[in-house]
Amino acid sequence: MSEFLETAPVWLKDWVLGLLAGFGVPGWILDLVAAGMVVGTCIGIFLGLFALMSVMERKILARCQNRYGPNRVGPFGLFQPVADGIKMITKEDIVPAAADRVVHFLAPVVMMVPALLVLAILPYGRDLVPVQLDAGILYFFAVGAGTEVAVFMAGWSSNNKYSVIGAMRAIAQMISYEMPLVIAALTAAMVSGSLAPQAIVEAQGPAGFLPGWYVFTPWGFVAALIFYTCALAESNRCPFDLPEGESELVAGHLTEYSGFKYATFFMAEYIGMFAICGLFVTLFLGGWQAPLPALGFVPSWVWFFAKVCAVAGSMVWVRATLPRLRIDHMLGFAWKFLLPMGFVTFLAAACWHYAGRGPAGWLASLAIVGAAYVALSANFSRRFSLERRVYQFSE
Amino acid sequence: MNEQKTSRWSESFAGRLLSGLRFPGAGLVKGLAVTARNFVGSYFEKDRLLTELYPEQRPRLPENSRSFPFLIYDGNDPEAGMRCVSCKICEKECPPQCIYIVQDRDAAGKALKRPRVFNIDISVCMSCQICVEVCPFESIRMDQVFEASSYDRFGSLVLTKRDLLKSNEYYHGIHPTEAAETDARIEADRKKKEAAAAAKAAKAAETAKAAAEKKEAPAA
Amino acid sequence: MIQNILNELAADPWGVAGKWFALAPAAVLLLAAAAAVVARNLVRAALALTLSFMALGVLFISLGAEFLGFVQLMVYVGAVAMLIVFAILLTRPDRLRRTATALRGAGPAAGVVIGLVTLGGLLGVISTSPLAAGTKCAPAATAPVARIGEVLMGSHVAALLAVGVLLTAALVGAAILAIEDK
Repeated sequence: MSEFLETAPVWLKDWVLGLLAGFGVPGWILDLVAAGMVVGTCIGIFLGLFALMSVMERKILARCQNRYGPNRVGPFGLFQPVADGIKMITKEDIVPAAADRVVHFLAPVVMMVPALLVLAILPYGRDLVPVQLDAGILYFFAVGAGTEVAVFMAGWSSNNKYSVIGAMRAIAQMISYEMPLVIAALTAAMVSGSLAPQAIVEAQGPAGFLPGWYVFTPWGFVAALIFYTCALAESNRCPFDLPEGESELVAGHLTEYSGFKYATFFMAEYIGMFAICGLFVTLFLGGWQAPLPALGFVPSWVWFFAKVCAVAGSMVWVRATLPRLRIDHMLGFAWKFLLPMGFVTFLAAACWHYAGRGPAGWLASLAIVGAAYVALSANFSRRFSLERRVYQFSE
Repeated sequence: MNEQKTSRWSESFAGRLLSGLRFPGAGLVKGLAVTARNFVGSYFEKDRLLTELYPEQRPRLPENSRSFPFLIYDGNDPEAGMRCVSCKICEKECPPQCIYIVQDRDAAGKALKRPRVFNIDISVCMSCQICVEVCPFESIRMDQVFEASSYDRFGSLVLTKRDLLKSNEYYHGIHPTEAAETDARIEADRKKKEAAAAAKAAKAAETAKAAAEKKEAPAA
Repeated sequence: MIQNILNELAADPWGVAGKWFALAPAAVLLLAAAAAVVARNLVRAALALTLSFMALGVLFISLGAEFLGFVQLMVYVGAVAMLIVFAILLTRPDRLRRTATALRGAGPAAGVVIGLVTLGGLLGVISTSPLAAGTKCAPAATAPVARIGEVLMGSHVAALLAVGVLLTAALVGAAILAIEDK
């Protein structure tokens, strides 16, 4: 039974294709249908997750703040996304008169497309990778670069100084946090010996007394934390959501967007968040593997989505806890702490590997990472000494 | 009450362990612990969630809160037990002039001590309670109904006599202290009137008796 | 000729579609580059340039150089285009209409001549190289990305180290330029 569930998606696709082939449908239409089924399923699942996430985030935030979340629409408020969707669709679409109409229209499109494209390389299950790419991790970051262009387009075309400032801050944030993100990802790729996501998952092989996932190694734990932090920053989530902070910049680069275009940005942000959670799970949490061999009867895709939902839930937990960072603090954190920490973790992973992956390697990598952490945090725990203020322009 | 609880938790072992953390980044961990405690506690500790789920849970209004006026009747029959005698003092004293009274007349055209029409326009009423303060007959008081919205701006926001008449028991239900005082005052007034009538009757009886004695005396 | 195309379409539709689709990124690339040169609005020119970078990346991927395509997208679209955008935003926020480039006279004519000469030179070099004889390379034994890594760390490690030094120098230079006088 568990094997049937495990291979159910592939079996279903083959069954449909066989049925169509039996009707004499030509080969190239079959290829199209196969691709369409995979793409449709993938997008459908993630859109459903997006809808669920939008209500679960509000409810979890509410419970963390000692209040109920939305609980009017549907049982426990679970139909709230339907109400939100109807609201977004029926809102008037206002474009400022002095805005650049073409670019203003294209910005949500350019934002949405990379968010959907990156879902293609994630291994959802043992045989469930939509596209097997040799350099899959690199593809992820390459396509993610399109998001920055979209943010600029959104901010610029609104012809509004708050939007432009918001867009510049957002782009600066995304570029700064992309570096430690890539380095943390490359740490996991280096140890696995491949850039293909499927190979990385399989390299986090069977368990000792702890699962062999990279998050349970010293360098892997730190790399996972760095990746997680940069993932929060890349998807503009709290505590890095200055670009869309309402109290600072109205809505930053999204100020002039209303109705369905805003919903598209919102959707792109959440789907991007799920995609990067998916990558986090693939790189550090063992992807579709069960934690214990005894739990292997649960299908692999259930494990994958359970882990992704757990990581997304933890992102909501972080959002409920931490206040927003100021832009100079945010960028300083990225360049002065995360980037050096990323390089040191890379070094520690190499030491672990070349020391034979045994206890010596564990101790060495732990020592390196610990020392770097203490040294770099000393940079941030300086007490602010209050100096005598010098007013430059007052006589 | 919540403050007591958190201080007790922070003195517990887990709380002291968490507050003693001093490594860089400890603040993040403590914050996450607080949020997690809130999250889990909101399911198990009943008094954490202070939200009033409105249509299911009615808000507990203070006793003296008021919204719009209503007329009181004693007994079971609204028309017969109505205290209002149509003196029109409230109509004159109402600052935005939202009360409209027409006195009732009998078949012969003689004025009766009751209103035929008593309308209050609650879209105009400002809940100042002046009508209550000037009524000599304790017949108009402030209600606590706040869900008076309607889709019809001009029709349903004018309350007629039938809408406004509510029983004395209802008044006791919403403003118990005030109702008890009003009833005591009415009772005292009634006793005083009865005593005055009794004294008057006694005095009249005595005068009659004295006159009768005086009549008998010259005859004797 | 039309008959040939139709025959081929009936035999192998995806192959024919693939051949024509392979031209699409090149067409987009040329159009976007032309738009970047000609556009009046500077920001639209920058966005057209970004589009041409993306099209070049897609072209690399469609020709089988996946690694190069992804790096092109990551570096050019993610970093260089953003650099251009920041340069525009931070230096000339008010005057975005470019002064009209004169489309008559000696300048454009010289440009066309230089372009044709360059094109001729490139075509000559390509046609006399061994690749033009249509020799196909044998598929690599190891994965292409691994092969690139081996070459970079093995026989071309000097180039890699030189690039590292160059980047460090650039970073230090940028920090010095940006540091405030305290």
